[in-house]
Amino acid sequence: MRNFKFKRSLTLVAGTALAASLLVAAPTVASANPVCDGKVPVQTCGGATSDGAPYAMMVPANFNGTVYLYSHGYRPNVAIPAGIPGYGGYTVTNTPQPGPNEAVIGALLAKGYGVVGSGFARQGWNADSAIKTNVELVGVFKKQFTKTTKVVAWGESLGGFITQALAEKHPDLFSAAAPLCMASNVDALMTMAGDAVWGLKTFFDPTIKGGSYSAGAAGYAEAMGDLVKIFTVLGSLQAALAANPTAPAWPATSKVPDAIKAIPSRSALVMVALMAGIPLQSANFDATSAPAGLPASNALSFQLAINPAFAALQNLANAAALGALAMYDLELQAGGAFFDNTATDYAARVADEQFSWASALSGTSGTAGLLSVLAASPRAKANPAAVAKLKSLASHSGKVEIPTILFTGVADPVTAAGNQQSVADKYAAHYAEKWVAARKAGDRKRPVNNQLLVWNFPAEKYTKYTAAGAPDTTVPAASGTGHCNFTTSQYMAIADLLAYASVNGKNLSGGPLLTKLRKAGNMTYDREYSAPALKYYGDN
Amino acid sequence: MIRKTRRKGTWLAATVLAVGSLFATSLPAYAETGVTSTEIKLGITLPLTGAASPGYNKIGNAMNAYFKYVNDNGGVYGRKVTLIQKNDEYSPQLSIAKTNELILKDKVFALVGPLGTANFTSVHKSVGIARRGVPSLFLNTGFSGFANKKTYPTSFMVLPSYAMEAKIIAQFLKENHAGKKIGIVYQNDEFGIDGMGAFKAAGTKFDVTVPYTSGTQSAATAQTWVSQLAAGGAQVVVFFGVTSATAPLLAVAAAAKYAPQWILGSVGADPLTLRALGVPLAVLNGAQTPAGNPSPNDTSDEYVKQFQEINTKYNTGTSFDDYVLQGMNIGMMTVQALRAAGPRPTRKGLIAAMENKGSTFASVAYSPLGFSKTSNVGHTGYYMAVMDANGDRKPFGGKVTLYTTNSGSGPVVVSTFKRPAMPAKGLPSNS
Repeated sequence: MRNFKFKRSLTLVAGTALAASLLVAAPTVASANPVCDGKVPVQTCGGATSDGAPYAMMVPANFNGTVYLYSHGYRPNVAIPAGIPGYGGYTVTNTPQPGPNEAVIGALLAKGYGVVGSGFARQGWNADSAIKTNVELVGVFKKQFTKTTKVVAWGESLGGFITQALAEKHPDLFSAAAPLCMASNVDALMTMAGDAVWGLKTFFDPTIKGGSYSAGAAGYAEAMGDLVKIFTVLGSLQAALAANPTAPAWPATSKVPDAIKAIPSRSALVMVALMAGIPLQSANFDATSAPAGLPASNALSFQLAINPAFAALQNLANAAALGALAMYDLELQAGGAFFDNTATDYAARVADEQFSWASALSGTSGTAGLLSVLAASPRAKANPAAVAKLKSLASHSGKVEIPTILFTGVADPVTAAGNQQSVADKYAAHYAEKWVAARKAGDRKRPVNNQLLVWNFPAEKYTKYTAAGAPDTTVPAASGTGHCNFTTSQYMAIADLLAYASVNGKNLSGGPLLTKLRKAGNMTYDREYSAPALKYYGDN
Repeated sequence: MIRKTRRKGTWLAATVLAVGSLFATSLPAYAETGVTSTEIKLGITLPLTGAASPGYNKIGNAMNAYFKYVNDNGGVYGRKVTLIQKNDEYSPQLSIAKTNELILKDKVFALVGPLGTANFTSVHKSVGIARRGVPSLFLNTGFSGFANKKTYPTSFMVLPSYAMEAKIIAQFLKENHAGKKIGIVYQNDEFGIDGMGAFKAAGTKFDVTVPYTSGTQSAATAQTWVSQLAAGGAQVVVFFGVTSATAPLLAVAAAAKYAPQWILGSVGADPLTLRALGVPLAVLNGAQTPAGNPSPNDTSDEYVKQFQEINTKYNTGTSFDDYVLQGMNIGMMTVQALRAAGPRPTRKGLIAAMENKGSTFASVAYSPLGFSKTSNVGHTGYYMAVMDANGDRKPFGGKVTLYTTNSGSGPVVVSTFKRPAMPAKGLPSNS
């Protein structure tokens, strides 16, 4: 099998995931009342809610009465030292963000809608405080713009979590809501991230701490050290894969027994992704294609075994970074370690998928060898009080009584599609209960379905190869992959669906819905589709 | 008078209309995905290109040829049967994508003959075959896990399971190769494990065990297999893998003048495909193999003769081999299933037809079919055969001795089962 030279580091591809685009130069005044610039045709207002969170409002002169409240995604709550791949040089910011990007904000304003968004008082996992901030912000907006008739909520990633919570807890304030690429409950999300980091630690570098960070400056140094080690390991694996895709070497830091090192390190990478529930299709790797010109047997091997390993590598760069950053943040909030895999049965975790990825895992013997390492390795133990504290943070019930529209990429590596699915499953249970209650009450009419699930499926094949046959990772992430990787057309389709729902009190359906989605591109409505469940919702 | 008559005519017309509309509304409306008044649309995923495609890439065309033959003879209750083939290149992820296309875009009524164990397990879970209630008939894989009716309520096997096959080979080894050093090369996934588990349960002890990972089969890897087998002194080698792995194994062994008694599992033993992959037929001479069907060269067999005729006319230029025979047979079983589902077929009705009548279907294979309300097991046995220098297959011992068993701990027994006769002209008339 040939080797490959990459134009850039795969791990760098992940770097944009958490870096918020900071858009609006709103007047930054710590004022309870908005300070507006009075410009025409769009005036921009700034201020701060009572918790000190700055906000931005943008309202066109032809404001039609509907405003979009946007909740931004996760921003690390600590500065990240320069030099750390992808994230280095980040400083904590609470700059307000009233929409996903400038193009979408401009398009909404042009249609006569207002937009508003907070920067939130604290960064990191801030759902509880952000929900309060947003509720207050809606009041501030309505007071300032008395023509307001409808408020719709939307947001991405952690902002998707916040949006779903707003829809569940404050149906009186919102006409419709769209959680996008949403995070579901924090314990589920952190189980995925914790498993990913623990897997990398176990197979590739036991000095990765992976949690239980010390208090104070020492803990910060440990977390940043973990980030460096994670990227170092992934960088080593990338180099090994590129040099010898069939049998890439293990990183020098790995301490697994030599017998296990007879299994290609790429199989351990795939195992980490599978046991954590991270998809095996990534921004640039489709897990289905091979470079042109390979002999047929080598091409099949690339399709089944090597391409998925590259995908695991690329996705783990995102998920593991979240693991280290969010683990540090949430341990501070919870007062100690909360990730616990003492009872996790990783063999059960991968039982359903190990045959689908048999070649990538080096067959049943390779799978058994890797699982034996996981079974024999020291586990992470949580502090019960910290677990209890984590569970006390805001969570979703799935019970919504206003129209909601959920949209996510099926191969999102940070908020895997199972996040959206878990909320869908909860809503399905809620809907079933309502239907039973209605029938008991003699009502034969089915309740209105308030939840619309839309999925962004990656294409069958999308990996690009250079003329030399190397995977080209300089091209943009494929649709349906990457974290919150949406087009302006898709955002606007969601915005239009929200507008419809806010006016009609129900989601668009039937032919008009399908037409709307088709025109936006890569938006699928399929009532029967069910995304793989997050591992947290499994049996262990 | 004229006026009166006209009035009566108007009244009559109105009555007829009213009765007609009453009649129309009293009949349940018939609508089913993939079925129109003129057509039944079916789908299959299989490798049409790539390393795993040799042989398998003929199955879909063979099924289509049979359906064309049926269509030219009136179709199924007047509807023509069409089959959409999707190339999954043997990649489970592509199988998922292609099956989604078949179900969501092409809107097929049912899947027939989808190929590959890892492929169908992936499809079943990711696409939600059971949740959607999509019938998946005659899976081209013998993984015994598919017999789990609770997990796979809408799926039906056709091949005997790999576990059954291994049990029958184990019995054959005991009876015919006792005392010899035995080696095995097997695909290191659920296909191979299915067989290895059954060998172990049957008490077969292998002196040399060579697993290979699917997708790694090549002349280079076959060198290592042969080295291990030769070094271990294996006198009898059981091969439990796909044809694209059999070929390099036999070719490399021949070049190294390593000539054990080969026992080739049914999946990877088609002589024509092996020859197309560069294996000299002479190498196959004397190789033993479990077989479910008669030799594709046996024109004394009424099924083979009829299918050969259909192949000549509707699959022009395609050599008739085990894969074509299998494809034609699945086509014929599918038509019987569709007929059994009645003139207004539904997905639920098709599944019920398989459960209630599937065990009576005519099939080229010698062994009984195990379909019932509680079983989605297809054929249940093999006979042992020997290949000759022409690549033909003859029953071991000169006559077909059919062994049947189950995938569990049931015994291997010699069966006296008589397969149903070929429907007249190969056109099922069941209901």
